[in-house]
Amino acid sequence: MIKCGFIGFGRMGITHFSILNTHPSVDVVAVCDSSDIMMKILKQYCTKVRTYTDYKRMMDKEKLDCVIISTPTDSHADVIKAAVQRNIHIFVEKPFTMTPEEGAAILKDIEGKHLVTQVGYVNRFNEVFMEVKELINSGVLGDIKNFSAEMYGATVLKDTKSSWRSKKKTGGGCMYEFASHCIDLAIYLFGQPDKVAGSVLQSVFSSDVEDIVSSNFIYNEGRAGLINVNWSDQAYRKPANIVKIFGTKGKIVADKHAYKIYMREADEKQGFEVGWNTRYITDFAKSVRFYVRGNEFTRQLDYFVDCMEKSNFENISGFSAAQKTDVVMDEITKDAAVTLSRGAANNTRPDGSPLMKKPAKRSSIWSKFSRQEVESVR
Amino acid sequence: MLDRIIFGDNQFFGINHMSEEKADALMEKFRDLKAIMNVIDIAYDAGIRAFMLNTNERAREICDYIRQHADRYADMSFYPSMPYAHKYAQIVAEKGIFGALREVILADSSAGDILGILKKGGMSLFERDMMKVMQLLVDMEMKIFKGLNVKVVFLQNIVTDLLLGLGVKDVFISFASYIRDKYGVEPGFNSMNMPKLVDFLLECGIDNPIVCSSINKAGYFMNPDIKDYERTIREKPFRPLAMSVLASGAIRPQDAIEYVCRQPQIQSIVFGASSRQHIIETKELIEHYS
Repeated sequence: MIKCGFIGFGRMGITHFSILNTHPSVDVVAVCDSSDIMMKILKQYCTKVRTYTDYKRMMDKEKLDCVIISTPTDSHADVIKAAVQRNIHIFVEKPFTMTPEEGAAILKDIEGKHLVTQVGYVNRFNEVFMEVKELINSGVLGDIKNFSAEMYGATVLKDTKSSWRSKKKTGGGCMYEFASHCIDLAIYLFGQPDKVAGSVLQSVFSSDVEDIVSSNFIYNEGRAGLINVNWSDQAYRKPANIVKIFGTKGKIVADKHAYKIYMREADEKQGFEVGWNTRYITDFAKSVRFYVRGNEFTRQLDYFVDCMEKSNFENISGFSAAQKTDVVMDEITKDAAVTLSRGAANNTRPDGSPLMKKPAKRSSIWSKFSRQEVESVR
Repeated sequence: MLDRIIFGDNQFFGINHMSEEKADALMEKFRDLKAIMNVIDIAYDAGIRAFMLNTNERAREICDYIRQHADRYADMSFYPSMPYAHKYAQIVAEKGIFGALREVILADSSAGDILGILKKGGMSLFERDMMKVMQLLVDMEMKIFKGLNVKVVFLQNIVTDLLLGLGVKDVFISFASYIRDKYGVEPGFNSMNMPKLVDFLLECGIDNPIVCSSINKAGYFMNPDIKDYERTIREKPFRPLAMSVLASGAIRPQDAIEYVCRQPQIQSIVFGASSRQHIIETKELIEHYS
């Protein structure tokens, strides 16, 4: 049995717990969270797990095989380092870390160690996007020339100051908390861009972070892509990802539930006719052993377990893949500063008042505030 | 006795598992309560008497309307499903789990006396008795249905499955007995993991439980797989309700209904539709194959 510990027991932590607790090869033995109340309640109703408020203590006492980290982003690097030192396999919620430098240091630390690492970019386990990836690789679209990757949701509809997600210092904001999914999906499907350009970060409601992220990805092989993400868009009931891909032989429009492909010529092997062909998720969805909130959440964690069981250290959503996303997010932030200094963006609230004179700049994890936050996790 | 045909409400809230575009179109179509009531009227006039409603603002409007026109809907019965997960998800994202619970409970005007309970002795209600918190939430959501004929109160699938994964028996036992004792109706459970849930409920000592889940020929939304569902339906002592029988349109209606009706243990079929033709066709098919 794989002995598993949880660090961070909020919305995502609980979801992951529920999924792994039902896995036949996994024994969930311990949970750590800074909330004393949460740990008391868990102990009361879930008697088999031991609870902690200090994650290092938990790692030392429990002889864990793996940890599931679902804490605010600014604590990721510290918690990951502690796990790496103890040779514990790591699944961490997205994004990977606060800065490319932090991520690079961790990648150096795990070099030569036989550790399974994974970051929670769950779109990589969505059935439609998995199929789209295969179609791209199969060459059915020909040369990919152009794409757009969009993501919209009604996550932030007012200036909420209370959550860590609304603060730059703790890793909040649309870029890290929301757009990271879209950017990672674009990198998963099309690779890391050689350049980002014309990036803009805008605020709609938030006073400390961006609510809209837009950018252009440029590739040396003559490919370009548009990124457009908005987490303050009330028109969406649930967060939606939309990918449009133009290739020399055809075109794909995909979301999490369906895709349609336009073919210039029929492809018998794939079963596509000339013109539009629509495929719904009901056509190719596969059940999972236990469902909580979506097939992809189970598939992602079962894959993590599978990698541990098979000593497969080439995880498709591993730290090195997620580091690319962090690097690109950093490039977008820097590029947006240049774009804004040219006065390109209209950065005002809906009432006309100015907002965010400068684009969100990631502060160092070692700022006083964030250190206190990390302490509280312990 | 459970109704054979229960009319579902997903279509009113822009829920379509197959396509986001179709979901948006539904949202637009049912913007007005009047449009929703038109469809409910068609179903009612076609002889459908049972309605499943997810507790939310829309359900509140529907129930208000039905109370105001009690004569028109004299035989109507309700199968509410709670909690209203989307509402909580939004507040949880902003304020955390306890912050959200506190806000939801305190926002309820008649829960004034709860204020005292929340703070009593310097210890929060959450620490002392989570089951009491659950009961408060049930009471708040049940207010929507006050004075109406409720038959079964369902625990909504996200919550059911999350708690099933956590393996917390107390919540299931406590929910079931509270619904029975306080409201005098049957508890039910919605799930995406029916076989696992049925075993768990039986372990909890909940006799002959009512479980509503996707049951369709395509195996869509049936976890871990269709075989396990068929076996559980055949062998376990519980009352299955079938939803998503058409798999969002992936199966031919005749085949879809025939498949479900072939399994005599299935007590009820929950379906939603938004046109007169679909409502009447589906109802007739169920009656034909039953």
